[in-house]
This record gives sequence, C-alpha cells and structure tokens, in this order.
Amino acid sequence: MLTLEDLFVVAVVWGTVIVLSWFLSSYLLGVFTGRKSRLDRILVPVENFIYLLAGIDSSKNMGWKEYFKTLLYLNAGEAILAFFILMFQQSLPLNPMHYSGMSWSLALNTVLSFSSNTNLQHYNGELTLSYLSQMSAIQFLQFTSAATGLAVGVAVIRGFAGKARTIGNFYYDYVRSLTRVLLPLAFIATIILIFMGVPQALSGYPTVSTLQKGATEILYKGPVASLVSIMQLGTNGGGYFGANSAYPLQNPSQLSDLFEIGMMMFIPTSLLFLFGRMVGDNREGRTLFLAAYAIYGIDLLIAFLSTTVIGRGLEVRIGGVASTLWTVTTTAFTTGSLNASLSGFNPVVILTAFFGMLIQAAPGGVGVGAMYLIMYVIVTIFLVGLMAGRTPEYLGVKIEGSDVKLAVAAFLTHPIIILVPTVVAFAIGAESTVGLAANATGFTRIFYEFTSAAANNGSDYLGAAGNTVFFNVATGIVMWVGRFLPILFMLAIADGVSTRKRSQKQGLKTGSISFVVILVFSIFILTVLTFFPFLVLGPVLQFLQGMKLSIGGVIFGL
Amino acid sequence: MKGFRNLSTAARLTLISVVICGLLFPIIMTGIGQVAAPWQSNGSQVYYDGKSIGSDLISQDFSAPVFFHPRNDSASGVDPDITLTYALSQVPRIHNATGIPESFLNATLEKYTQYTMFFFGTKYVNVLNVNLYLMESFPSIYAPYVQ
Amino acid sequence: MLYLASNSTVGKESRLNWPSILIDSLKRLNPYSLKSNMVMFVTEITFAIVLVMALDPTLIPIVSRAGERLFYSEVALILIITVWFSTLSDSIAEAQVHNTASSLRKMKEQMTAKRLKSSNRNNFDVVPSEQLRKGDIILIEHGDKVPIDSEVLEGIAMVDESLLTGESANVRKSVGSTLLGGSVVTTDSLVARVSVNPEETYVSKLINLVESSSRPKTPNEIALTILITGFTAIFTIIIVALLFLGVTLRLGIDLAVLIALYVCLLPTTIGALLPAIGISGINRMSVKRIIAKSGKAIEASGDTDALLLDKTGTITRGMRKAVKFVPLGNHTEREVGEAALLSSWDDDTPEGKSIVELAYNQGFVPQAFSSLDRSEFEEFSAATRRSSIKMSDTREFLLPKSGRGILQRKRLRRKYQPGEQQPDLEIVKGAPDAIIDYVKIKPANFDSVLEKISEDGATIMAVAEAGDVIGFIKLTDEVKPGVKEKIKALRDMDIEVVMVTGDQPLTAGVISKDVGIDDYIAKARPETKYEFVKEEQKHGKIVSMIGDGTNDAPALSAADVGLAMASGTEPAKEAANMVDLESNPSKIMDVVMLGKQILMTRGTVTTFSIANDIAKYFVIVPVMFAALPELGALNVLHLTPHVAVISALIYNALIIPVLIPLALRGTAFKPASTMTLFLKNVTIYGLGGIVLPFIAIKLIAILILIMGVKV
Repeated sequence: MLTLEDLFVVAVVWGTVIVLSWFLSSYLLGVFTGRKSRLDRILVPVENFIYLLAGIDSSKNMGWKEYFKTLLYLNAGEAILAFFILMFQQSLPLNPMHYSGMSWSLALNTVLSFSSNTNLQHYNGELTLSYLSQMSAIQFLQFTSAATGLAVGVAVIRGFAGKARTIGNFYYDYVRSLTRVLLPLAFIATIILIFMGVPQALSGYPTVSTLQKGATEILYKGPVASLVSIMQLGTNGGGYFGANSAYPLQNPSQLSDLFEIGMMMFIPTSLLFLFGRMVGDNREGRTLFLAAYAIYGIDLLIAFLSTTVIGRGLEVRIGGVASTLWTVTTTAFTTGSLNASLSGFNPVVILTAFFGMLIQAAPGGVGVGAMYLIMYVIVTIFLVGLMAGRTPEYLGVKIEGSDVKLAVAAFLTHPIIILVPTVVAFAIGAESTVGLAANATGFTRIFYEFTSAAANNGSDYLGAAGNTVFFNVATGIVMWVGRFLPILFMLAIADGVSTRKRSQKQGLKTGSISFVVILVFSIFILTVLTFFPFLVLGPVLQFLQGMKLSIGGVIFGL
Repeated sequence: MKGFRNLSTAARLTLISVVICGLLFPIIMTGIGQVAAPWQSNGSQVYYDGKSIGSDLISQDFSAPVFFHPRNDSASGVDPDITLTYALSQVPRIHNATGIPESFLNATLEKYTQYTMFFFGTKYVNVLNVNLYLMESFPSIYAPYVQ
Repeated sequence: MLYLASNSTVGKESRLNWPSILIDSLKRLNPYSLKSNMVMFVTEITFAIVLVMALDPTLIPIVSRAGERLFYSEVALILIITVWFSTLSDSIAEAQVHNTASSLRKMKEQMTAKRLKSSNRNNFDVVPSEQLRKGDIILIEHGDKVPIDSEVLEGIAMVDESLLTGESANVRKSVGSTLLGGSVVTTDSLVARVSVNPEETYVSKLINLVESSSRPKTPNEIALTILITGFTAIFTIIIVALLFLGVTLRLGIDLAVLIALYVCLLPTTIGALLPAIGISGINRMSVKRIIAKSGKAIEASGDTDALLLDKTGTITRGMRKAVKFVPLGNHTEREVGEAALLSSWDDDTPEGKSIVELAYNQGFVPQAFSSLDRSEFEEFSAATRRSSIKMSDTREFLLPKSGRGILQRKRLRRKYQPGEQQPDLEIVKGAPDAIIDYVKIKPANFDSVLEKISEDGATIMAVAEAGDVIGFIKLTDEVKPGVKEKIKALRDMDIEVVMVTGDQPLTAGVISKDVGIDDYIAKARPETKYEFVKEEQKHGKIVSMIGDGTNDAPALSAADVGLAMASGTEPAKEAANMVDLESNPSKIMDVVMLGKQILMTRGTVTTFSIANDIAKYFVIVPVMFAALPELGALNVLHLTPHVAVISALIYNALIIPVLIPLALRGTAFKPASTMTLFLKNVTIYGLGGIVLPFIAIKLIAILILIMGVKV
C-alpha cells in the first residue's frame, strides 16, 4: 500500500529536484555553448591558465575518435595516479592513522571503479584509506569521472542537437564541467552537509571513552562532507565509510538523507532538460525526462507497493520509506551509494534496483544517463518507427545502418559484460570464496555484483568480502568496458549525426506524449527480453521461494 | 608525435585536476568547515564534564541493564537510534534495574521522540540522548555505571 | 481495405507454378544458400543439433535424457519446418517476380514498327519494336508513334514531342533530325534509321534487373538486418549463459528445451519474411508497370516529403477542351461556334478536335460545311500562334482524305447534307493578341470580356471571321479522374504536393486550388524543376518527381525519386531511378504509397516478431528448470513442459506462413498522417504481438491435447 509518507517524500524530493534542475539546465546551456556569463571574469582566466599549463587548444573541434582518445588517455592517467596513491599511501603524507597500502588487485579494482564512475568498493574506507587517499584518489576520481560523464553527455547531446555541427572539444567540456558545474555545486553542497552534521576534518580518528564505564569508540572524522557532496552530485556513490550513507556521519538525519537523494538526481535530470534546450525544442527534452521519470516512478511504485522489511539492515532515523526511495533512486541514477543494507530489502525492491541498473537510463548517471536514453530512442525508433511508413528519423535526421549498428553494439555491451563474468564466476566456483552458495540468493548477489559493475552503479552485496583477486579483476574489467565502450559507440553516432542533413519535417513526433509511452514500453520490453531468465533465477525466484516460506500477501508483477 | 602530445596533455591535466579536486578543494572546505561549523565538522561530539563522550550520531556500547540499549544489527552497525517501540519494550527492564518509575521513563521517551519524516512516519529516539538525560536526572543511580 | 490494390492497372498475372515453387523452396534448405539469412541459418544449425540428440539421446547426458527421443524428434521436425516456411516465402516471392517480368516483356513487344525491306516505301514488314536492330530502316507515317530512337533519312514532318519534352508545339523534323522513341508523327511520313538496339534501351535493362536474383540490399534492409543480427546475438548470449548456469547451478535443464526457447526468441518471423517483403515490393511496382532501378528508390519514395507534379499530363489530361463559345459585340454564340467548327475542321490537335466536338454537341453546324474539301487550312504554328481556313466553294461535301479525326467526321457526314454555295470566306482562330495583330481591329469590349472569361484559369482563343473578331472559344484542361483523391491522400500523409506548369500564375492558381495542392510554380522554365529539387533538398526534404523530356534529366537525377515515362527520352530514363512503362505520370502518387507500404510492412513484421517474445518467455521459462518447481507460479498458461515447448515452437513456425500473404501484399493502410499510422500500427502489431501468442499458444496446446498427440 502506498502511504501518505511515501507520497509526501516523493512529492517533496521530486518537486524540488525537477524545479531546480530546470534552472540548472538553463545554466548548463550557457556553460556548454560558451555563452557569456558574469562568472567569466573570474573563471576565464582560471580556465585559460589550465589550458596553458596543459597545452590545450580548447577551441578545436574534435571528431569522435579524437574526443574518445583524449577522454580515454586522461581517465587512464588519472586512474594510474590514483593507483599509485592507493598502493603507496603508507609512504605518503596525510596518513595519521598509519594505514598500509592496498594490495595491487584491490587498488586496481578501486581505481577502475572510481574512474569509471562506478564506485564499487571492496574495502571499508574508514578502515583502509588515509586522508590523502580519500581526497586525492577517491574524491579526485569522483570529480574527474563525473566531469568526464558530463562532458560525454553534453557532447552526445550537442551532436544530436546538430546546431554546432560537431560534438565539440573534450578538454573544453571537461574543464568547464569542473570549474563551472561540479566544483561550484560541490562547494555549496559541502557547506550544507557540514551544517547538517557531516564532518570535515583532517585531525585523525580519536578514540573516545563513551558514556558507559569501560566502553570506547573510534570517531572517524575526516574530510567526509567534501567527498559526499561530489559522490552524490556526480552519481559516483562511493562513500567515505564502508557502510556508505547508512553510516550516520555520512548521513546524519532525515533532512540530510533527502538532500543527498536530491543531489544525485540533480545533474542527470537537468541534462534531460538540457537536451531539449540544445535541440531548440523543449518537447524533445520533455520526452527524455518523462520517459526516464516514468520508468523511475514505476520502479518506485513497485518497490513501495511491495512490503518493505523494516528493521534488520535499515537505519532507524531514515526509516523504510526513505530507504526504499534511496535504493530505487541510487540504482535508477546509477549512483550506487546506499543508506541501508541491500539484504534488508524484499526481493521485489531488489528487482526494481536491477531494473534501474539494467536500463541505466532511468534517468541514469551524470551525462551517460542521457546518452543511454538517446541510445534507447534510436533503437526504439528503428524498431517501431518503420511502421510509420517512413525511414525512421530522429530530430529530422534519418537513422542509418551505421547508427543502428553502433546503437545495437552499445546495447549489446551490457548483457555481454554482465552475463559472461556471472557465468564464469559460477563455473570456477568463485561464489564460495565470498561465502555464497550456488542458489537463488547466491545467484542474485553475484548477478547483482556484475550488473552493478557494468552499469557503473557501485551498490553491492559483497562489500569488503568481494576483495578477492577474481572479483577485483573481473569487476574491474567489467566496469571499464561498461563505461567506455558504450561511450565510444555513442560518441561515434553523435558525431555522425551532428553533420548530417536535417529535415524540418518530422513524421514521427518524438516530442509527443504518445511517443513517451511507446519509449517507456520499448525500454521495459528490451530489458525484459534481454534479462528475463536471469531475473527469474535471481530476485523473482527468491521472491517466490520467500512467498512459499509464508511472507505471502504480495502479488508479483504489480 | 601527435600521440605523444595527447599523452603529455593527459598527464598534465591529470596533475592539474588532482591539485584542484583532490587537494585544494577538500582542504579549503576543511578550513571553511572548521571555522564556520566546528562542532559538526568534528563529528558532532557530545561533551560531559568538558570531556568528549563520543558522537551524537554514533551508537555507543550500552550493555548495562540501567541503560536503553541500541540495536546490534544494523546496516551501519553504529545506528544511534532505536524505534520507539523497541525503546518502550526496554522500559520494564530499566525500571527493574533502577527503580525509576515507568511513567518517568515513558515521559522521557516521549520527550525525545523524533519522526522519520519530520512530523510523521515511524517514531524513534536517540539512545545516547535518552541515557544522558536519565543520567543527568538520576546521577546517583547512574554513577557506578559511567566513566 | 487494401488501398493500393484497388487501382492496379493490369489484369491478373499468370498463375504461380506451385510444383516448381515447392522444389525451389526445398533446394533453398541447403545451408549454403541460407548463408545470407542469418536467423534461418542459425535455426538450421539448431535443427542439426536436436536431430543428433534425437538419433542418440544419451550423447550429452548432462543436458539430455534417454527417454526423450520422441520429444527431440518432434522438436527437430518443427525446427526444419520453420526453416522451410521461410524458404517457401522466398520462393513464392521470386516466382511472382518472374511472372511479372515476363509479362513486362510481353507488354513491351506490343509496340510495332514498319521495317522497310527495300527503298520502296510500300515494301515493309510490321514487326514488334523489340525485334528492331540498330541500323534498320523504318517507315513512320502520319499518326504513327516513333517506335525507337532513330534518325531521319527522308522526308519532312511535324512531330508531337509534347509528352517527352513538354513542348506543346509540334516540332519540324527533316533529314538528319533525331526522332525520339515515343513521339508521334502528326503530318506526312518519314523514313528513319534506328540508332539504338532495343535491349540497350534503359527500360530493357531495367526489366532484366527486376528479374535478377542478386539484388543489393536497400539501406533499410541493411539497418534491419543489423538489428536482427543484434537480437540474434543477444539471444545467443542468453542461451549460452543459461546453458552454463543450468549446469553449474544444477537447475535441471534440457538442451532441446533451451534450443526451443532460443529459436522461439530469435526474430524468425521477420528473418523469414524480410527477403520476401523486399522482392514483393519490387513485384508490386512491376505489376503497376513501373520498374525501379533499385529497391532503394522504392524506399526513398516512401520517405517523400515533397512531390513535384507536372500540371500537364499528371494533374490534368494535358488536352485542353473547348467548353464555351463567347460572342463579342452583336454576334451570337451560334456564329462563334460555327466559325470555330469550320476553322478547326482540319485541326488535328486535341484542342481542335474538342472545338469540333463542342460545336457539334451544341448544334452549331454551319451551312458552309460542304465546302471544306476545297478549303485551304493553315496549321497552327508557334510563330503566328493562330490557325486559319480559307473556303472558296461550298457546293459539295467530300470526306477528308485521312487523319485521326476520320471516324468522328464520318459520323458527322451521315447526319448533315451539303448546303448551298457560299462566297469565299477566311476564318482565323488563335491566341487573342495574335488575332488582333492579324486583323488589326480590336472590338470595343474585347479586353473586358477576355478578362472576365479567363478569370477561372481557362485558356482563351479568339475567332475572327472575314477580318472581324466575332468572339472567343474558352478551353479548359480537364483534371484527370482520381487525381483529387490521390492528392488529398498524399496531403493527409504530410506530403507537400507542388505543381509545376508553364501556365500563367492565374491559371496555375486556379487548377492547384481546384485539386487541393499546397503550392505551385507557374511560368516554369526548363531549369525550374532542377532548382526546385535542389532548394527543397537544401531543407533536408526528400523530393520525388516525374519527368520525360531531356530537359528534365538534371532534375530527375537530382531528385531522390525520379520517375520517367517509358515514352520519354533515353537521357530522362537514364537519369530517373524508375520508369513507368505505361507512361502515366499520375502513377508517381501510387509509387509514394507503395514505398510507404513496403517500409510499413517491414516495420510491422519486425515489431510483431519481437513483441511475440514476451509470451514465449512466459510459456517456456517457467517449465525449463526441472529443479525449480517454484517457478510454476509464472506458468500463466498452465502448460506441462513438453506441451509448452512444442506449442510455442509450432506457433513460432506457423506464424510465418500465416504472415506470408501480409509480406507479399503489404500492410493495409488508409492514408493518414505519419503519427496516426504509426500509433495505429503500434497498437495492432505491437500490443497485438504481445497478446496474440498467449492466446494462440494456448489454443495450439489445447489442440495437441484434444488430438491426443504424444509429446
């Protein structure tokens, strides 16, 4: 049953985020089309200094190959730097707790995870990482991967909008993402979080004697607020603490909880509106927004309607409703932060979390969410658009064989990198190394692990238990392939589309509500067709087995 | 040569990014936090007799029967709160151990009740705050149990 | 229901040869010939695997069971039948094309030529134009159609090239001139040398192309093939993953069931029918006597945004018909009518004939009628823009010697007797200003009457008798029957229709308004069409047009869809990507509809095919894991494992022949906006595609149980 609490929370969060995102999208349009701004007086010199230091010509338009190459090199460079920081943190400053370096496989997993905007964590941050690692490896990659995602999203949108007749310049998009979007927003968010009770300190972890005689506790106070701000804004999701936003110092109250939920929705939502603004027809943005939010809303509704098991695994101050909202939102926006333990949820909630990650576009992560939505639009238009009796076209551009090929390749990446390692994991018996059996629960958790990795989500069941060479390396590969291969394909499509002839006439009205309905249907069907048997073997089977064990009363498939 | 140029640009931009995002930003934010909101920035610590007795936000090990007990299963493991229902279920035990009237205990819980949704939703209490209140109200009863 | 079939221009095609179709379809089961159809190739491989399982059920013990031989045999049988249904649809479509191509050849042979056997003009054979060779000498007499491009050796004649070049004035041809195949000799006769072999003409090459089996895939077919390949890849990954998981998690799976699920999920329906849809599209064009250079052109026609139509010949019949006589001053309508009849008697142009007809129908038959044989007729010429007749004696009446108007005149003669003698008389008719130039006297109300009667876009001729302008003949061009409806249908489908004409803007405006056209280009020059095509394309529009003259060639070549008339010049046909053998320009509108229908048919079958998969999952997945009885809750059709698998497979196979007629005929549709058509088809084939298989599979299962088939 939907309760008043459910509706209240959703209304407050959605309403605020949607309104603010609309304004942000207008700001982003200015940022990425180079419109003059009052901030230019301060930021232009800063940006020019960065260009000068790095030797960048930010005015040169790049083709998709160059855009991708520069993007990949930069992300690789950043990952390598972070890798060394993590491995050698014991010899580096800002390590008052004297933590030793990570093992190579864990460091590899961690940098691949954070540089791919996944933030799967096979470690507990407060017990493993020095301040420097938290700041210069983790938080650093959270900024850069979000900037990369934002740049890609903007480049793809710019290509489809076609006004610039190019996808742009990666360095320009990346630097401006940082200087004009992520750093200023993170600055504001950090201050708000600090006032809400999230620590921001660099003075070590004191052990204090607590109230009851003889009891002590370690107070993990570190640069948490600055990290949480970008982790949420950048749909990164990797927390300062192993328990992520279930940990009270990362998420002290209901208010901070809702604020953090809103933060992760903010930029992805505004990019959907930005699409309409760049195309020059807000209805096109509305289509992406409505489709994404419809899927997100359906997931939420299913999660709310199923009985949420409150208690074990959930934080009391946050409660079942906000925990469910967070879990659905964190997977819908492929953020991956958690404010509760996944094992505390009904399998139906897990099923909706799977949908969020398998779809990746409802509304998905910063930048790439919009990118995946456009991929679905292309596949959908081609799949059903022929029925209009015309060669399918989007925004006046005819969809060609090469576009279909690339969009299908981007779509295919996901099932391959999820299913192949899942099968391999069970074939080599890897489930037993993380304490799981070859049953529905074991399957759900391993399948979830790779789905989360592939979707660059990062939420998981395994946590620090996943720190085995197999899972570190396997999920590491999956995260990078899942991140960069679809980006490559979609940049190629966008670049091709950017210069293509456009018809002013539009046969298939993609700005219409009926198209939204068809798009939502199509996204669900494509996802179900690809993953139905595996969802059946995982959460559905868990649910059916649970029902047999007498939870009962819930009808599957609402 | 062009490939090398790309690599060199990537390396330089990596260093610029890490300085800005991985050092300057968190250090500046720490400075601002320590100045503007030092209590929160340092973990919302509760002081008793001028001495920190831990964070308001982190559950403590209350095992003596005179205290309200926290949960021991929890996502974070340090959940500072318990539901009002769970707190009420502990009232008879504390009454038996301390002799504090149940009505007082119930009133205390009511005083400290919070809602998961600001003014509605599930009711809960912060264990440390309740115990601290009891201790301050009945110092002689609690003296043997505290630091 | 079927919009396009209703106005097919030809009769029944010859019947299909079923035995040879069956043999052909079986030959196509050869894996090598299936290589271009990936889905069916894969299906045949799965057949081979299950066949092996049926032969030795103990071969792969982890995923097969000894007791299942009957079940495996049944699965294998249905799998190969699935492939066969696919090859059958190809064979039927190919057979249809061969039938059509041979009937096209027959049609071409119907044009005849008079091939001279010696220099004697009376010594000739009448042969089909197909049999002409380059260098043959042919005779073309008054009223004959030039059978093939040739060069004049002897004689001088006027030739009507209006259908080819758009020039309404007849062209004078003398020794050395080039004659265009399809033009008509309107005076005298000519001896000419054939300058091209018939099989080298563009149309002949195109007919051969229709029949050729190696048709390149169209851009849409390529994109669809990629999509189908993508789905095949996805389902392959799923099945392989399920196979491994089934073994490692000990889920109790059977390889034959897994393969059944695989084939059910594969887009077999669209995979089977995609080739047939394309072939049948070309065939349906050919049935309409339109041959396309490539399937791409047919597809592009479906994408048409702007359609450029010639007024003359496409929208109107291209024949101006006299509709009214208007007297001037104190003259009567009868006087004008009679003078007009006399002046037009020897005028063989369509206009002239229509004037005679109108005058006769209104009873304006002059007494001077019998003197026509001694009359002196001056033909219309572009220079003078008038024709005239001078009569010296009117005592008796004789038949005109020859000419196409002969039958009509015979009828007239029977009814009217010769009249008495009249004095010499000259009647002149022609363009109003030309007549004034000729007679030099302009009646007082000439301009006002002229302006009034030309208001509705009519063409006006003035008639002068003995130096006095007595009135006007009003001629209007007749709108072709059915054109208005077709234009409305095109506009309903969001296609911009533009008319191009050499007429004055007033006339063009009236006609276009009359037939419901968006826009018109009047006073068109030869390069106008080209400029229009380029301008529209600059705005990203797909432009279709028709043309026949050499001066249309640049525009035809620039247009996305150029339909040339078979009667047109070779350069026009070369430049166009389609040729209409019947030279009926209005058919461009049918071409657009057909293009749309082909795209739509591909779309509907694809969507239907993919939508079907939902039901197939729900039928097979709940029963495929023997170790997981809990999944029974998902078994919405309540089928036992074997019945579920066999029913789903039978449905998957049967849906192919059920949809063959749809693939060959095309999806039925009524002209409507793109979005309306889209939503309608989404509902029928998308939603229908989800729901139908649940019902059909259940019915098949019930039938299996009723019939007591052992599975």
